[in-house]
Amino acid sequence: MGCGKKSDPNEIIIWHQMRVDEREVLQRHLDNFMKLNHEIKVTQLYKETEELRSGFIIAAIGGQGPELVYGPEDQVGPFEIMKIIKPLDEIFSEEYLNNFNEKAKVYSNGKLWMLADKLGNHLTLVYNKALLKSPPETDRELIEIGKKLTLDKNNDGKTDQYGLVWNYTEPFFFIPFLTGYGGWVFDDSLNPTLNSQAMISGLKFIAELRDKHKIIPNEADYEIADVLFKEGRAAMLINGDWSWASYGKSGIDYGISPLPLIEETGLRAAPMVSAKGFSINANVKDDKLSIIKKLMEFLLSPENQLQTAKQLNTFPTRKEVYQDPFILKDEILQNSQKQIEFGKPMPIVSEMRAIWDAMRPSYQAVLGGTIGPEQAAIQMQKDAVKKIAELKEDVTSESAEQIFFIIAGIGIFILIILSRKTCISFILTFKENRFAYFFLLPALIVMGLVIFYPFFYNVVLSLSNMNLRHISDWGIIGFDQYVKVFSEPVFYSVFLKTIFWTFSNVFFHVVLGVALALLLNRSLPGKGIFRTLLILPWAIPQYIVALTWRGMFNYEYGSINLIFTKYLMLPAVEWLKSPTEAFLAVILTNVWLGFPFMMIISLGALQSIPQELYEAADIEGARWFHKLKSITIPLIKPVLIPAITLGIIWTFNNLNVVWLVSNAGEPSDQTHILVSYVYKAAFNLYRYGYAAAFSMVIFLILLLMSISLIKKTKATESVY
Amino acid sequence: MKESKLVNFFIYLFLIVFTIGTLYPVLNVFSISLRPGDKLLSTSLEIIPDNATFKSYVELFTNRDFLLWIWNSTFISLVVTITGVVLASTAGYALSRFNFIGKQLSMTGIIITQMFPATMLLLPMYIMLIELGLLNSYFGIIIVYTSTALPFCVWQMKGYYDTIPFSLEEAARIDGCTRFQAFYKIILPLAAPALVITALFSFMAAWSEYIVAAQILQDTKLYTLPLGLKSFQSNLTTEWGLYAAASLVVSIPVVILFVVLSKWLVSGLTLGSVKG
Repeated sequence: MGCGKKSDPNEIIIWHQMRVDEREVLQRHLDNFMKLNHEIKVTQLYKETEELRSGFIIAAIGGQGPELVYGPEDQVGPFEIMKIIKPLDEIFSEEYLNNFNEKAKVYSNGKLWMLADKLGNHLTLVYNKALLKSPPETDRELIEIGKKLTLDKNNDGKTDQYGLVWNYTEPFFFIPFLTGYGGWVFDDSLNPTLNSQAMISGLKFIAELRDKHKIIPNEADYEIADVLFKEGRAAMLINGDWSWASYGKSGIDYGISPLPLIEETGLRAAPMVSAKGFSINANVKDDKLSIIKKLMEFLLSPENQLQTAKQLNTFPTRKEVYQDPFILKDEILQNSQKQIEFGKPMPIVSEMRAIWDAMRPSYQAVLGGTIGPEQAAIQMQKDAVKKIAELKEDVTSESAEQIFFIIAGIGIFILIILSRKTCISFILTFKENRFAYFFLLPALIVMGLVIFYPFFYNVVLSLSNMNLRHISDWGIIGFDQYVKVFSEPVFYSVFLKTIFWTFSNVFFHVVLGVALALLLNRSLPGKGIFRTLLILPWAIPQYIVALTWRGMFNYEYGSINLIFTKYLMLPAVEWLKSPTEAFLAVILTNVWLGFPFMMIISLGALQSIPQELYEAADIEGARWFHKLKSITIPLIKPVLIPAITLGIIWTFNNLNVVWLVSNAGEPSDQTHILVSYVYKAAFNLYRYGYAAAFSMVIFLILLLMSISLIKKTKATESVY
Repeated sequence: MKESKLVNFFIYLFLIVFTIGTLYPVLNVFSISLRPGDKLLSTSLEIIPDNATFKSYVELFTNRDFLLWIWNSTFISLVVTITGVVLASTAGYALSRFNFIGKQLSMTGIIITQMFPATMLLLPMYIMLIELGLLNSYFGIIIVYTSTALPFCVWQMKGYYDTIPFSLEEAARIDGCTRFQAFYKIILPLAAPALVITALFSFMAAWSEYIVAAQILQDTKLYTLPLGLKSFQSNLTTEWGLYAAASLVVSIPVVILFVVLSKWLVSGLTLGSVKG
């Protein structure tokens, strides 16, 4: 594990985003391969879809990365543009490729970039056989059956069983109803076609399922749909092939069937279908290609594909396998194949990213009731056009680079002139302060390397055009990216939200922290136990607790609403559906996470106050409030102010909590603060230069804020 | 006297209700870890679910690389803690006791690092680590963690040293101690509470960090706990039972540390003043 390890000629690394059971099957195949080929070592590494993509891009630009990268076919789009994967038709013969289903060969611009071992990733209708015998064929039947199976068993006014559930808040899960009404996301020349009658009808259909027919829950994300079906509290579910096996494991006797026919159009509701397969890193040297080819041929062999299909219910890509009795007999696979035939291939172009990002906000706004379907369709189209333009943006400047170097040179020169006196006195006093420098230097070097160097790198990036088109050949273009940041109207509203977020959080952290500290500082038996328990939110990993909080905010099943309605006689709140409440939910979570820190700080400060002061006040007959105002607060202030300053800085840049609780800004990208906004808007569309400029702006805002804050508190400090 | 009993009653009542509210989300995580069938949510309020099972915990320790992750995380966190304490205690001392050129600059720089948004460092840091050949090595990750924990620790140490009277060293110097001896023998022991805080913060920075680890460590043998935890998860399917069980097990050492150190925690975290 030394540093800078050179790659072993017989070692192959695969990056993938497979789920756990897929990984186990892959590992078995790899073990068999290594048994046959002793000299070769293959290792697999799981990465989450988004991390796989961004990680592979950066590693490959740096001339590194795994030999093979496995994933859904839409990752080919950006990889091909960035030239970080190899064309496969130069490696495999035509004869060999003829063995594969056409859908398994992912072409772009006339070249083959990915060879798939699985087809699918498609949504189907999953139904609970204990609750219904035969699945609906048409949308009318779906509604009828759905109404029959949506039950309030104990007549308490709350639905105990739903006819249908699914993650309908996510656009990917809406696509079948767009296609069912005859719509699609692109025309033949890849222009977005979101403002269509089909879109409007599809949106209306979903809204009616919920509001008119009432056969789906008022609010459902992936996890809540999943759990309702697993608990037998939903008769039908729309979910993809990745999920089916887990329903069997939870003891549900399930069947799958193609999504229904939409009677109005006579069309099938068609999900997106995509292949999953292997691509080869462009950095792989030719001498290594032969063993990579050998490995791919092994993994894609009919025998291994059949085994995979048997174990995972996935649909194979080798034509030979389709005649196997197992495939022909298996009910799940046969229905899955039917759905694949009805499905539409997922576009592999990088513009697809822009489509998802454009659809999500307006789609969720329709569900939240803030805009109508017609208006949403117009807005989606507008956003898609804008985002595609951003994705394709291609700015270069020949002179900017020279100007940059000239300005930087002049800047350094001026700096040297200005600091020459300091430099001279530095040399003169160096000996005297040798000890201090010797003590400080190690820490400064480490911090300088890891924090300041990236900072300057980021400054340069913020002046550059680094994006999808210019990933390794980027250059300086000047202040374009900054202009873009400030000309985006969303920037200002997100900025205001960030301010509100920061100050409300810190306010409650301090108030709660100080109040609890005051209570715990009294002589109470057992206060140690309380102190320990109250620290817990600080100690548990944020990731899972934040997700638990999201669950607690669910409209129907979340514990917060259950407590509201059952014990406090308050109406249930739609926490996650409307922007204001969702933002409030995120703040609540973060208040919970953050108060222990302030509590501990305040406790420390309280304990350093000499007891005699209070005794003296008691003699004078001072009331509780008076003592708080004239002794406690002034004395803990010097400790609290730096803590508050730090708290403001940390909260301002807190990415995790917002991201997890609001599920990346839902609903409608209305719950963003600046950092989460730049993370989503810029990195998602590969706009690295823009992201760098945006980050610089965030930093500068924070810097100005802190400076004025520190100045102000210093001014008040001198009063006391 | 009666009045104070009544007051105490209400204080207890408030504390109990508040603590239950605080613990509820944590208990929720516990509940997930007991649920069969990988369900993140439940439609009922109860903490102990039907068919509760400790299967996830057994699976965690017997069938997964959990012990390996614990070992890796412990090793990395301890090294980070030791380097963090050494570097922060010395740097903080220099900033507290000496007036030298560049002191103001260093102090400002240290505070400024806290203002960098994560999105700013992510990409450049990764490119830099590739160029330095530090990918996939403990050395790389230890450097990154130490440096991200340092600014706060240095600041915190400096603040604590400021509260220790200067006259102590002067006395020691008169007694014939060198500067280093005065620091090492007199001041450092007095700064123990702050050292404990520095250690705790460095440890926690390394123990639960995920994003940087995911970029640097690409060999499953080097995986730390957060990386291992995340591997229970994949796009749209997660082994929630294992995930929750592991999260709780992971937080146990941190909670123990907090409990053991709570006395120091209260007295050591003074943060000094912003005067710089």
